[in-house]
Amino acid sequence: MKVEILIYAYLAICAAMIIFNIVCIFVFRKKDKNIEKRSIDFTNIIKEQLENQKVDEEHKKFLRKKLKHINHMMAFDETLEKLYKENPEKIKNYIVDLSSVFVFLTFKYSEKNVIQAAYFPYIIKKYEVFKGDSISVVIDQLLELVKEPNLYCRENALQALYSIGDANSVVVALKILNQKGCFHHAKMITDGLLSFSGSKETLNKKLWTVFDEFGISIKKPLLDYFRFESGNHSEKMLSIMTDSEENQELRFSAIRYFAKYRYTPALTFLYDFAKEDSAIWEYKAITASALGSYPSKKTEEVLKELLCDRNWYVRYNASDSLERLGVEYEEIIDVFEGKDRYASEMLRYRFDRKKLKSKEVTTV
Amino acid sequence: MISDDAFMIVKTILDYINVFFVIYLIGYSSFLFLAVVIGSSELYKKRQQEKLKNTLLQNYYVPISIIVPAYNEEVTVVQTVKSLLALEYNLYEVVVVDDGSKDRTSQKLIDAFDMQPIRRPVHRKIGCQPEEFVYESVSEKVPLTLIRKKNGGKADSLNMGINACKYPYFICMDADSVLQYDSLSKIVRPLMEQENIVAVGGVVRPANSVTLDHGRVLDYQLPQNILACMQVLEYDRSFLASRILFDKFNGSLIISGAFGLFKKDVVIAAGGYDHSTMGEDMELVVKLHEYCTLNEIPYCVKYATDAICWSQAPEKLKDLCKQRKRWHLGLFQSMWKHKVMLFNAKFGAVSFVSFFYFLLYELLSPFIEIFGVITMLLAFVFDLINIPFMLLFFAIYAVFGCILTLTAFFARTHTIDLKISAKDAFKAILLCFFEITCLRFVMAFVRSTAFFGYKKKRLNWGRIERKKINIK
Repeated sequence: MKVEILIYAYLAICAAMIIFNIVCIFVFRKKDKNIEKRSIDFTNIIKEQLENQKVDEEHKKFLRKKLKHINHMMAFDETLEKLYKENPEKIKNYIVDLSSVFVFLTFKYSEKNVIQAAYFPYIIKKYEVFKGDSISVVIDQLLELVKEPNLYCRENALQALYSIGDANSVVVALKILNQKGCFHHAKMITDGLLSFSGSKETLNKKLWTVFDEFGISIKKPLLDYFRFESGNHSEKMLSIMTDSEENQELRFSAIRYFAKYRYTPALTFLYDFAKEDSAIWEYKAITASALGSYPSKKTEEVLKELLCDRNWYVRYNASDSLERLGVEYEEIIDVFEGKDRYASEMLRYRFDRKKLKSKEVTTV
Repeated sequence: MISDDAFMIVKTILDYINVFFVIYLIGYSSFLFLAVVIGSSELYKKRQQEKLKNTLLQNYYVPISIIVPAYNEEVTVVQTVKSLLALEYNLYEVVVVDDGSKDRTSQKLIDAFDMQPIRRPVHRKIGCQPEEFVYESVSEKVPLTLIRKKNGGKADSLNMGINACKYPYFICMDADSVLQYDSLSKIVRPLMEQENIVAVGGVVRPANSVTLDHGRVLDYQLPQNILACMQVLEYDRSFLASRILFDKFNGSLIISGAFGLFKKDVVIAAGGYDHSTMGEDMELVVKLHEYCTLNEIPYCVKYATDAICWSQAPEKLKDLCKQRKRWHLGLFQSMWKHKVMLFNAKFGAVSFVSFFYFLLYELLSPFIEIFGVITMLLAFVFDLINIPFMLLFFAIYAVFGCILTLTAFFARTHTIDLKISAKDAFKAILLCFFEITCLRFVMAFVRSTAFFGYKKKRLNWGRIERKKINIK
């Protein structure tokens, strides 16, 4: 009979779950309706304020009281989103005037649970509340959120920091990530840095100053960021590319940099990589791709040699680069026809593809 | 009349069998209970997080190759590729592998997408049948490739797709399925959130009676067909429940062949899809567990609860039986091939929880259930059965199963913002009872007969009748 009791207990809990689910459906519906209702109230109140030159103190007081509650903040967000579409300039000025309210809310949201706390930096980023205005209490609070193990909280806080545009705080945030060692995808760091709203020049300078303090998990996205940001980092990239003691992932990243930005002093080293019979084939493969940005007779010769490499990716990238350099298929196919099946196969494919693309362009 | 001694022997045996069944059912009920409670709360938490923007708000584009193996799919293949080209994602390619179809699968694609022949070398990293021709199209939003190869089965086609695709992650899917518009951005999310991910499973939902427009659900209702309708309930229970629970300890052993994402280099290193098994999807995931663990490679298999693929559920009992037999054989072959994982401390919870669960409650369950029925008959013959207690036990079991199914159904429906009508809610309540008490037993019988004539069907694609999904 004890078995039955256990099953009855399970039954009761599951029935409770169904009731919970059904109640949830109603609660969610009611919540949505409440947010809609509050949003209408906010719309009228905010529209009044938008008529004035400055936001009045009474309104700020009202917002301080209301926005500390998450449901009101959600309604406020919905309202601003709507009004922003109608009149972005006015909303931007309105937000700037509310700076003191958001400073106050920073403290209130720091006391909330991590899911609710993460919503606040989302609002800061979305409406660029403190853009160009690095208020230390806000920055400190955001840096605290960067320390959180919760990925979304960390990412929302980082996004808010990028939107504020203070280079120092971004560097500190990266140091925290580095120190904590928790996984934060390289793509998120790179894209985040690219969205930085302050002076990129200052940020870059600071990042290079502390570059060696970071581990690979931060260095790698930083190099990707520099690659997408500008061609002003060639010297530093060259030193990374040529440093045989450096981590190979970073060296690959540096080679990719020179594929994007032509830098003549790098060319000799690229030729060396192409000729070197290193056990790590990636050097040759990435170099084969990079050489497509350096048109010259010698480059063509090197690439033709790479076409016969035993590695498939090296041949693939070399044929791609030759195509980008405008080398005619007929010029080289005879050289390989019958001698190197792999090379001629790859070239034939490139040739077919080129024809296919040009046919498409003609049709269009 | 039998002697007292014989009667005592039978009674003792039946007593032991009783104890076994009590433990077996407690184990199963506890597992389902845990799975549904955890799955349901996980979905609730996820919804809360999304409301409060605790999610990755930017679109991060991880390059993906979508591999569509096709065999005699002339009815659905063009529609499938069209839906793939309409996905809201920026960085992907589509590779269709025609496994030597006897119908006009390739020609339909060539005509519909103005594809051109190309002499493309394929890098053979995994063994597969040779290609007959390759066509490409550059006029679409993303690169589209068609490879026709000699017939070799689904696993062989997938291996060809892996060889030919160019991106570091690939998605395998069925040629009769439709991906929801945001499914790619949803399935790559786990890659952003956690490191060392080698595979991510998506959610497969029956598309019978669902209307889609550019991958968006326009109208959702339970299928008219009772069999398909019961499968909706079954899918919800299994996807919501067990998969979320297994996900908690990296213990997922199944990623549906209809929608899963894999890291290409790890799959290649592990040897790709196995041609010799029928359940190549399960076999691959089990193989990845084994390969990564034995080679001490840190890895993770995840489940994306919001990445949705709409697929056809069989509407005929014959087709359903065929499908389930195939799945069961695939399960057996995968488990047998990787039996080293059973009760092996190296594999931790994957061995002692997931693998053991699949052995006891999936692979052996049809036999155990049939054995249970035989035992009841035997007990009845010897007048050793307490009929009121047996009926009560059945009733409790049925109600418990129904409640679990409904918990999964309602949790899933309300947490992914699908509106269901009162009529459908009522239908679900009514049909879940039949699903538990009838379909389940029929399927147990079908699965127990799966081994008859399996050698003959080894490389068979296991066809079921194809219909177009309702797309506007």
